[in-house]
Amino acid sequence: MLELGPEGSDRLSGQQRVAVPIVQNTDERAAFDEVFLPHMPEAYRLAQWLTGNASDAEDIVQEAAIRAFRGIKNFGAVNARAWSLTIVRNTAFSWLAKNKPKTVVYLNDLSAVEQQELEYEGLLGTKVETPEQIALFKADAEEVEKALAQLPTQFREVIVLREINQMNYRDIAEITNVPIGTVMSRLSRGRKLLLAILGKRK
Amino acid sequence: MSALLKDDELLLNAYCDGELDPVAVGEFERRLESDESLKARYDRLQKLREGVRSIPQMDMPAGLQARIQSRLDGERRNNVTVLRRRTWSYQALAAAAVFGAVISSSVMMTMEQFGQRDNVASEVVAGHIRGLLAPQPYDIASSDRHTVKPWFTARLPASPQVPDLAAKGFSLLGGRVDVIGHDPVATVVYKHAAHTISLTTLRPGQSVPDQTISGYYVRSWSDGDFTFVAVSDLPGADLAAFERAFSAAAPAPEVK
Repeated sequence: MLELGPEGSDRLSGQQRVAVPIVQNTDERAAFDEVFLPHMPEAYRLAQWLTGNASDAEDIVQEAAIRAFRGIKNFGAVNARAWSLTIVRNTAFSWLAKNKPKTVVYLNDLSAVEQQELEYEGLLGTKVETPEQIALFKADAEEVEKALAQLPTQFREVIVLREINQMNYRDIAEITNVPIGTVMSRLSRGRKLLLAILGKRK
Repeated sequence: MSALLKDDELLLNAYCDGELDPVAVGEFERRLESDESLKARYDRLQKLREGVRSIPQMDMPAGLQARIQSRLDGERRNNVTVLRRRTWSYQALAAAAVFGAVISSSVMMTMEQFGQRDNVASEVVAGHIRGLLAPQPYDIASSDRHTVKPWFTARLPASPQVPDLAAKGFSLLGGRVDVIGHDPVATVVYKHAAHTISLTTLRPGQSVPDQTISGYYVRSWSDGDFTFVAVSDLPGADLAAFERAFSAAAPAPEVK
């Protein structure tokens, strides 16, 4: 039963009950290795996109790993990847709120009109374009990277989760804790914003 | 199809992301062939997506994993040290043994209860999956509540209200009879975007914990007449919205 059993008396039933946390700990560690560890490189990438810098991302992944380890008992979901990335995402947001509150624009902080504008309309929203205008667009990786870094966090995260982490809508909805419909509108709006930024640079 | 996907832009995005069902893909591809402007927008979106995917990604720094591992080892050692410091009298050990026996028997009982509930949830999910595998997920197809409700009434001793929630994004597809345990029960089928929701109605007073089974989300609630179990591949937030919409539209009748 025990890997770490102290000698002698621990074979008595009383001692075994006391030792249960150790067993759990060993199991938890194994569960952590199985559930969270394989997704760490991805977790790091996501954290880097959310914070915009490498050393912050490292801090966040460390903290998320500890949170995941402590919460591994709660892992009942089927999808270890979505579960792990959810923790990383939430860790990153609380970290940003604490350390860089100015950089995160929360949609909830905006007025209703601004929210509406950002989520559903504005920029390219209502403009009708001709095929010729649409074709006028060119973007290499470097340009796109700069543009993506400028997007408000809520749009950036769905695009990163979709394109970099290659998650489907359902998992993105789970990770960002919004309905699928909101994921769809944010993806669509986020991509339009990217096109608008790239259009200006041209 | 829900109002959401009538939006061209969302449809285009969902098509590029591989999130449309085969029928919708067929329809959309026919439109792409004939609509020059849509085709141009499609090309632009794909080019943008390639651009995003071509951004070079940084690898995780060497040593980060080792640092995390050693921090976790530290957490574990601390726990072990605390436990080893304790000493135990034989009286305490005996008491603990008795206590342990009591606990384990009550745990067994609880587990049995859980097992039963899990069976109910599993059977409801199995009904949902069977529905998805069949040519259509319902026995009676109708978006008209006045067709579905009488159909149930003719077959089952008890059946729920069947509201159409299309205004809230959940359109009524129809109904079917599932067998849960040994009882035939009513299941109402709704559609949200491309996702199917099965709402199975059990006799009241059963508690089915919210959970995930085989990748399907299970959400349950009760009113005076029924215990409702909703199953879908929609995430929890959407099922919660569904519960609110359904409860608002189908209040439990006060007098039967």
